[in-house]
Amino acid sequence: MSKLLLIDDEDGIRKVLSISLKSDGYDVATAASGQQGIDLFQKEFFPIVLTDIKMPGMDGIEVLRRIKEINPEVEVIVITGHGDMESAIQSLHLGASDFLTKPVSDQLLSIALKRAEERLKTKKTLNNYANDLWYMVKEKTEEIKRRYEFEDKLVQRSIDGIVATDKEENIIIFNSAAEEMFGYTVNEAKSDMNAGNFYPEGISQRISDVFAGKDRDASDIFVGDEASITAKSGEAVPVRFSCAMLYEGDKPIGSVGFFQDLRKIKHLEKELIKSERLAAIGQTVAGLAHGVKNILNGLKGGLYIVNTALKKGAADGAAENKIDYSNVSALPLQARFLKQIVDISAERERQQKKLKTGWEMVERNIHKVSELVLDLLSYSKEREPEYEKYNPNIIADEVCDLMESKAKEYDIDLIRDIDREMGEIYLDPKGMHSCLLNLVSNAIDACVFDLDTQKHWHVKVMTRRKNESGVAFEVVDNGCGMDEETQSKIFAEFFSTKGTRGTGLGLLVTQKIIKEHGGTMDVASQPGKGTIFTIRLPGKKV
Amino acid sequence: MAKKVLIVDDDVDVRTFVSSVVEDIGYKPELAKDGEEGIGKIKEEKPALIILDILMPKESGIKMYRALKTDSQFSDIPVIVHSGIAKRTFLRSQKALDEFGDQPVPEPEAYLEKPVEPEELGAMIKKFLS
Repeated sequence: MSKLLLIDDEDGIRKVLSISLKSDGYDVATAASGQQGIDLFQKEFFPIVLTDIKMPGMDGIEVLRRIKEINPEVEVIVITGHGDMESAIQSLHLGASDFLTKPVSDQLLSIALKRAEERLKTKKTLNNYANDLWYMVKEKTEEIKRRYEFEDKLVQRSIDGIVATDKEENIIIFNSAAEEMFGYTVNEAKSDMNAGNFYPEGISQRISDVFAGKDRDASDIFVGDEASITAKSGEAVPVRFSCAMLYEGDKPIGSVGFFQDLRKIKHLEKELIKSERLAAIGQTVAGLAHGVKNILNGLKGGLYIVNTALKKGAADGAAENKIDYSNVSALPLQARFLKQIVDISAERERQQKKLKTGWEMVERNIHKVSELVLDLLSYSKEREPEYEKYNPNIIADEVCDLMESKAKEYDIDLIRDIDREMGEIYLDPKGMHSCLLNLVSNAIDACVFDLDTQKHWHVKVMTRRKNESGVAFEVVDNGCGMDEETQSKIFAEFFSTKGTRGTGLGLLVTQKIIKEHGGTMDVASQPGKGTIFTIRLPGKKV
Repeated sequence: MAKKVLIVDDDVDVRTFVSSVVEDIGYKPELAKDGEEGIGKIKEEKPALIILDILMPKESGIKMYRALKTDSQFSDIPVIVHSGIAKRTFLRSQKALDEFGDQPVPEPEAYLEKPVEPEELGAMIKKFLS
């Protein structure tokens, strides 16, 4: 049952209308004055209020205004005196939903009430609808917010620095990894900077071209490459950079760059190199200890031989002193005496020979030690090469002159093939001399070690000017050659094919010097056929 | 006639040293610088004792040792292995070769790890030859 408030100062009207309204099914409350009506309304809610206009004290217009203030949704129907058009219009202005003129007919009252009911119903539906809409909007907004926050977190929590721009190249995203990498805060980046401040140079230009429509196919700028960016502090940070254009349809609307910080990786790489170097030092020391031990054993052996020879010599001297010279004249004794003398001198000769063998052994090993030490020194010393204007042919000639006699000794032809158009280049003559000497001496050894005695051995030393900015030395032999395994080891420390004769450092030293010259060394070899070592040096004619 | 001792070693220093020790105690040294030459010298010189290095070029000591211990002509000649590698390593390699289907080969009569003192070497040689 609908509730209704009826306000009228006339007792009779209140009674008549109440009866009529009750019979229409309303739960009617009445008030005899405006003020009483308002008091009642404030205590209780009435969806429909029926009020007389002309009342002593608070009139109907005021009642209408107050009620609308309290609840604008309430349907207020005013009752005016006959012909009081002005009040009717005023009340409609103030939001009354209908007006009835006195005397109030039951029929018109019913119609007015029905209309009010309908309006209330429509309002309610409308309200519900608006409410639903509001909830829907709220829900969707929250979902969008959640999604945005999720994506924002995704961007923010990324380990990679992410920088995104709009099509004016203003920064719109600058995540915390980017802040850390570049050293700028997101606010600094967004307010004062643009893509050019962060993207590597070439990329930044390409992106501008794409935005300007000058560059249509931007697919190749997405590739991730190593690049270097400059942080706020001035530090150059190594990064792997990749980039993408953002499109709406086929219109570019922005760009995004991903920066992977490579500092940690670079640091680890350095650590790795350091630990490898330490391992190499360990190996070097082990190899060195082995080399020294062998030489030491040789020295000890030599000392032993020398010592025994010396002891024997002393013992023989004593035996000689014991020879009895007093009976020399007696003939039978003479033969024995002579034999004694001969025996002693033969023994002495043997001891002499032994002494020589032992001493040679000592000398040989002292030579080995000094060779090892010299090689080790030139290998480990950070010697600055002393460059000067020099003709490489002079070095080739010097080395050939030096090795000529050794080659002849083993019946090896030492052939010179010199490019006389060489000219002078900047090089370290001492360093290159030792390189070439090492290669030629190796080549001669390769012939000496060769078991194929049918061969006529040769070693060829060649110099060539390769082009305007390079020269080459080549040392070719037809000696024993190397199998692949040996070739793979020749630059390893303390590796030697010459048994105890080599230090296992010669080629290492040579390689080091060539590297210092910015040059390269290549080897080609075939077992039984021979070996070619090629040194290439950069160097303009000077 | 003094008994012959065959010294097989690729290092000239070792050959010189060992032959000096052999001479000093009254035997005749014979020298070979690798396994191949060593086998030849055994046939030619019929040594009473062999002092054998293991790590050598060409026919290694391991191969030469197995060759002469599986040949009834020479298997009675005592062998002193004189090597830079440890005895355990050598024996393990022999065992591996035994299991590989080769004829099993007895352990060498003596094993000396380099470097060896002349007195020790001399005493060892005497033990086999006197």
